[in-house]
Amino acid sequence: MNWLRQLPIKRKLNLVVGMTCFAVLAPGFAALVIYQIVDFRRTLVHDTTVLADVLASLSQANLRFLDSDLARTSLQALSAEPEIVAGCLYSAQGDVFVEYTRPGVKVSFPVHAPAARNYFEPNSLVVVRPVTLDRKVIGAIYLRASLQGVYDRLFGSMEFGIPVLIACVLASLMLSTRLQRSISQPILELAETARFVAERRDYTVRAAPQGRQEMGLLTDAFNLMLQQIHEQNEALNHERDLLNTLLDNLPDSIYFKDRQSRYVRVSRSKLENAFNLCKERHRDAQPAGSPPNFPEHLSNLERFAKFLDGKSDADFFDEESTRFVHDEEEEIIRTGTPIIGKVERITLQSGAAAWYMSTKMPWRDKDGSVIGTFGSSKNVTAIKQAEQKLQTQLERLKLLDQITRAIAERQDLHSIFQIVIRRLEEQLPVDFACACMYDVGAHTLTVTNVGARSETLAFSMALAENANLEIDENGLSRCLRGDLVYEPDVSQAAFPFPQRLAAGGLRAVVFAPLQVESQIFGVMIAARREVEGFDSPDCEFIKQLSQHVALAAHQAQLYTALQKAFEELRQSQQTVMQQERLRALGQMASGIAHDINNAIAPVSLYSESLLESEPNLSPRAREYLETIQRSIEDVAHTVARMREFYRPREAQLALIPAQINVLARQVIDLSRARWSDMPQQRGSMIRLAAELAPDLPMFPCVESEIREALLNLVFNAVDAMPDGGILTVRTRLAPDQTDRRCIVAEVSDTGIGMDEETRRRCLEPFYTTKGERGTGLGLAMVYGIVRRHGGDIEIESIPGRGATFRLFFPCATQAAQPGQAAPEVSVPPRQRLLLVDDDPVLIRSLREVLESDGHVVVCAQGGQEGIDTFRAACAGREAFDAVFTDLGMPNVDGRQVASAIKGISPSTPVIMLTGWGERLLAEGDQPAHVDQVLSKPPRLRDLRKALNQTSSVPPPAS
Amino acid sequence: MTLARRGWVQAWLIYLLLWAAAPRPAEAESREYQIKAAFLVNFLHFVTWPPGAFTKDEMPFCIGILGEDPFGAALDQAVRSETVGQHPIIVRRWKRLADCKGCQLLFMSRSEEKNMDAILGKLRAQPILTVSETRGFARSGGIINFYLEGNKVRFEINPAAALRSHLKISAQLLNLGKIIDTGGGGQ
Repeated sequence: MNWLRQLPIKRKLNLVVGMTCFAVLAPGFAALVIYQIVDFRRTLVHDTTVLADVLASLSQANLRFLDSDLARTSLQALSAEPEIVAGCLYSAQGDVFVEYTRPGVKVSFPVHAPAARNYFEPNSLVVVRPVTLDRKVIGAIYLRASLQGVYDRLFGSMEFGIPVLIACVLASLMLSTRLQRSISQPILELAETARFVAERRDYTVRAAPQGRQEMGLLTDAFNLMLQQIHEQNEALNHERDLLNTLLDNLPDSIYFKDRQSRYVRVSRSKLENAFNLCKERHRDAQPAGSPPNFPEHLSNLERFAKFLDGKSDADFFDEESTRFVHDEEEEIIRTGTPIIGKVERITLQSGAAAWYMSTKMPWRDKDGSVIGTFGSSKNVTAIKQAEQKLQTQLERLKLLDQITRAIAERQDLHSIFQIVIRRLEEQLPVDFACACMYDVGAHTLTVTNVGARSETLAFSMALAENANLEIDENGLSRCLRGDLVYEPDVSQAAFPFPQRLAAGGLRAVVFAPLQVESQIFGVMIAARREVEGFDSPDCEFIKQLSQHVALAAHQAQLYTALQKAFEELRQSQQTVMQQERLRALGQMASGIAHDINNAIAPVSLYSESLLESEPNLSPRAREYLETIQRSIEDVAHTVARMREFYRPREAQLALIPAQINVLARQVIDLSRARWSDMPQQRGSMIRLAAELAPDLPMFPCVESEIREALLNLVFNAVDAMPDGGILTVRTRLAPDQTDRRCIVAEVSDTGIGMDEETRRRCLEPFYTTKGERGTGLGLAMVYGIVRRHGGDIEIESIPGRGATFRLFFPCATQAAQPGQAAPEVSVPPRQRLLLVDDDPVLIRSLREVLESDGHVVVCAQGGQEGIDTFRAACAGREAFDAVFTDLGMPNVDGRQVASAIKGISPSTPVIMLTGWGERLLAEGDQPAHVDQVLSKPPRLRDLRKALNQTSSVPPPAS
Repeated sequence: MTLARRGWVQAWLIYLLLWAAAPRPAEAESREYQIKAAFLVNFLHFVTWPPGAFTKDEMPFCIGILGEDPFGAALDQAVRSETVGQHPIIVRRWKRLADCKGCQLLFMSRSEEKNMDAILGKLRAQPILTVSETRGFARSGGIINFYLEGNKVRFEINPAAALRSHLKISAQLLNLGKIIDTGGGGQ
């Protein structure tokens, strides 16, 4: 059927119509013929059978009654039927009864009657039918019909039918030739249009419209398709133009490669690169000097572009250099993983480094399978160089920052230089670095620091630390004028110092001045072995560094000054604070002293009175009373000294020569309970060793104070030995630090000792190591006492081994005067006295003591009462000779009382008793209207003395 | 069917045997009556009786012989195993006319020739096929009458008499027989 496809559509249509017509008509015709034949035969059988049956029926009686003549006559009737060529009637016995044969026909009959049936023989039909009567077979009839009629009919049909068939086919062909145009014409037109479009590639052509039936739709669809193709083509062209614009103009190298790494498409930049590279290689491969003779594909870019298409790198570069790229692309094809933004360093033929950033991606088709690779690469050398430059700058900055930080932590110039030099050596780096200090007066430079790595070199150049440099008219002198000096090659300078450096193998040297406020104080030297070894960023860095160093050095100087000022300030503040603290303490102490003085006044008065007025006292009572009196005096002294923390003792303090050994023994006795009894209760044992040098000279002192100081030291020693030990009290004669002849009293223990901090601070007031138990005042008081006696104190201690406190008291310069006993005070004449006080116990003791001297004593409790009593007495005749008044009283105090009394009777002496007496005396703050001030506790002797004085002194003028 | 055919074949065998014996003079007469007996039976097939002739379907055809019986055993042999439709055939023989009752075919023997008119008068208008071999029987009102033409047995038919007796005689039979037209009837 292949030839059918090759036929043009017109012929095809004709053929199809003709064949269809024939195919439809021919079977119809054949069917008709066959039907006719079959129908004819069936009709023949039917007719013949009917004929046979009729004959059989007619022959019944003939056969029954054996009338052959009549039977023959019946058979002769068959001659009217042209089809029947022979007939035969058989009797019941099967014998031939009568027979008929068409004239001219030769037929032989079966001798015996055949079975009843019909069958076809060639050219004839035989029908045998039984003859029955009353369902009994009484014979048979045999008929033979000729088939000639059938054949005649068949041929007749053929003769008529075949011409009709042919005529029909021809007619259909003619008709189709005319009618096929309506189908083939539009198709041919369409085909023509398509051919035109295909040949010219002109998608703007359109096929002529064909109406609205199928062909019309086809044409419209074709036109629409053309329209779409046209639009797609336009879009494609646009995209292609864009792509070409990109590929032809971008400086990036862009390529597409297939799976075998063969180039499919490259950008113009890539093409040019490859072209130039190939040319370069080719030129290099030629023998030197010969003119370059390029092969054809390298003659121009267009030819090279053709050459490149379908080639891989391996086709024109050696395998070594392309293997990596090839492997990389294979990896991308295999895994489908792109390489993005990979930066590669490439060393060019010229030796310079170039940097390329490349991106390679898998190239996929519509189904997503990888069909190659594509990518771009960009020359990023400039960016990379800038980046490196930036990096270097950053590192410099970091270095500068590090150095700045490091030197900021240091305050002395030496270590600042050390740091800077070391960093310079290690991190810039330089081959030699040193720092010099400039002595302006001597106009010399002294090397102060040399880097660790430069040390050997420095030694060989006689530039080791502390070496002096001569300043000649070279870089150094310029540098000392404040410029950064760069010598690219010192071997070219004729001056001695550069020559010295050159001899050490150094070439490029930088001298950087260290300058603070236009004052050069040093030079920093950095050097490298290479000629022109420093570029301008290096110089700039060194310059900045030198400025930083100078600044740091300046700051270090300032810091030192500041530190010193601060230290002074701190010390003076400490002193002020301590004084302030002592002052507060003194104020507090005087309050306490007042109360104590009041409290012990009766003890003092009574014991003195008893000792004087009771001659019959037993010796033991006398001794006890004397001890009481001494203790009270000590208490009074102690209280009086409380204020001494903040003010030096007044000069008039009476120093009385005393024997130190006596005082030491008294102290040992007084403190026995602490060092003997109390430790024993705790189960520890303290042994006391008294090593008292004999024949020691007397020294001027206040006995009670010395006793207290020693007592304090003993108590401390005991406290330092909670587990027992040896307590030593030692006296001797020894010179102190200033070679004065001094009495030394020493208290040492074998206790826990003191660390350095404690030893240094133990004399400070309120410094204690005893926690709640200590006041922090003991040693401070000792120190005060010692200082008041013009002496000194020494403390030695080893922690865990014990401590020794050593007190130095200067001996009297002149011969010690024997202790002046207090002069006897005569009992004043009997007087009428007024006592004003708010303390009834004091009043009572004072009255009794005064009355025992024979005075008339009137007491008044409180200021107002005193004034009232005095006024009442003045109004009468019993005026008072003198008035004793307390200073501190509620409501109306001593001053008011004194004022009032003087107002009433200016001549009456007023003697003020006060717990603050010593202070009033010391400050010279004798209140107005008061003639005498006596401190509490008043001693009988003082009372008598005061009364004697007031009675002899004329009343004040005012 | 097989059985019927066998019976049919046997009958014809016997018939052939009898027919084979005909050439002898005694046998010639015997053969004449054998044919006449067969013809008697054949008549039953070609004549149609009125519906009233049979009271029952199974009622046999009765062939009556009046007078001396010329057939002998031939008639009995001829009717044996022969039927007309569903009716079997029996043969009765009577000496007197008065005895003749319930027969459909009555053969009047030559011995009764003298009583022929009385017999025919009595049987007139009765559905009985009257057959004889007496000269003038048909003309006298009998329906079928045998006669010899040469040595062949032939018969006359009086259609008018048949019509009187309400019998229909087949055209084929009429074709074979010699028609005696006495008028007063169709044909």
